[in-house]
Amino acid sequence: MNNRKNRLFLALIGGVLSTLSASGVSAEGVYREYFPRAQIDPSKGVMGDIGFSDTVQYWKDAQALEQHKNWIGDPANEWKLNWKHMDLDRSSDFHEGHAAVDDGEKYVKAMSRAEPSFLTCLGEGKTDLKGVAARYPKYDEKLGRIMTVESRVEHCAQTELWRKDVKQGSPINNAITMYVKAQSTGMPIQVDIQSKPVMEAYKRGEQLFYTKAGQFNLACASCHTPQGTMGQKLRGQVPTTPFGDAASFPLYRSPLGQVESLQQRFAICNRQSRTMSLKPGDPAYTDLEVFYTVLSNGYPVSVPAIR
Amino acid sequence: MGCVLAGVLLAGCASNEKAGGMPQATTASSGHGAAAPDAFAAWPCLSYTAECGKIPTRMPVKKELAGPLNGDAARGKLIANERSKGNCIACHNLKGGTQPGSRGPDLSQYGTWGRTDAETYTLVYDLRTRNPDTVMPPIGTNNILTDQEIRDVVAYLQSSK
Repeated sequence: MNNRKNRLFLALIGGVLSTLSASGVSAEGVYREYFPRAQIDPSKGVMGDIGFSDTVQYWKDAQALEQHKNWIGDPANEWKLNWKHMDLDRSSDFHEGHAAVDDGEKYVKAMSRAEPSFLTCLGEGKTDLKGVAARYPKYDEKLGRIMTVESRVEHCAQTELWRKDVKQGSPINNAITMYVKAQSTGMPIQVDIQSKPVMEAYKRGEQLFYTKAGQFNLACASCHTPQGTMGQKLRGQVPTTPFGDAASFPLYRSPLGQVESLQQRFAICNRQSRTMSLKPGDPAYTDLEVFYTVLSNGYPVSVPAIR
Repeated sequence: MGCVLAGVLLAGCASNEKAGGMPQATTASSGHGAAAPDAFAAWPCLSYTAECGKIPTRMPVKKELAGPLNGDAARGKLIANERSKGNCIACHNLKGGTQPGSRGPDLSQYGTWGRTDAETYTLVYDLRTRNPDTVMPPIGTNNILTDQEIRDVVAYLQSSK
């Protein structure tokens, strides 16, 4: 990295974002450091993990998980299952994630009774929610912004019922989101990477993934890439691949006894690496969610899961 | 990427919160979105709009050890193993440590490596001066430990044989 100063100089001269170097100038024009980029091809979806963590072969489906179930509890190998052995979304065994889905169903039914347009708003014109969530996040032409399932739920409650208490990150929003996503359980995630606004969000999210932040000067990528800490022990635990992660959210966190959305997980990760966390629905977190969900393309929606 | 995973590293999961010198946010009780604690607002963040999104990364600092080390190895051991302080154990095997990480080099025999106090101090202070792409936080530059705490950690490392 002897040429690092030169590259920084060039980046300053050009006034451009230097995305491939370890350091550069951010969009805000200040010095920022970036974790070295991994090669991720968004068109490969979840299979982009091949050549990344190379663990997708162990968690790609129920059969693969079954074949490697002896790794559960084995500190050297458990991380290779990417916690997918705890998805349990297709298991008939009742767990707390199912309770959250049931709560969500009660909310949706009650709110749709009060105002039938709430359901058609969630279903984008239809009352059948099957398969709807598998295509999120998506760009909404009318609203002119990227929508997650969570922001759709918040939006529909506000516009159809004048309710302002269904904010992203609230227990009611999480429960409704889990119910909506559970209507797509088992269906492959299909974020539309042909959509220009979606790919612009993906690229911003990708940049955030590599941006070092906080007192510890860590990026998401510092832990969740092969060049980072993925697969290595961090105080007895092992960070996993970002591929396939988004498929299981929102999920029930048994240690905390509550449901957690993907963006709430980003907030907790930020805080734990001593970085100021953002609120669910923040545009930066939405971009990060787009990036993460494209890395789950082709993998089935796996709600309700537990962790 | 459960909390158990992300939590292990750094500021710690709620169950492991201890009163330390650093301002900290708990993960469980105050977690979940609302009322994001501002304890870390002075550091760069991912926001496009908040002030912290415009805070630059602190440039690498090659800090020289001033005067004799005067470190306390026993204190250094506590600092290196304490989650709310150095938390070196998250990534490094350390002499007398439990549940070590494996990402960084094994430092349990560091005292046999023949490194000087001065070199060790400079590297703990900010490893980016040797490896710009390091995962290791800039311990001194980013005020994670004080000058004396780094001296104590260096003394602990040098005593690890």
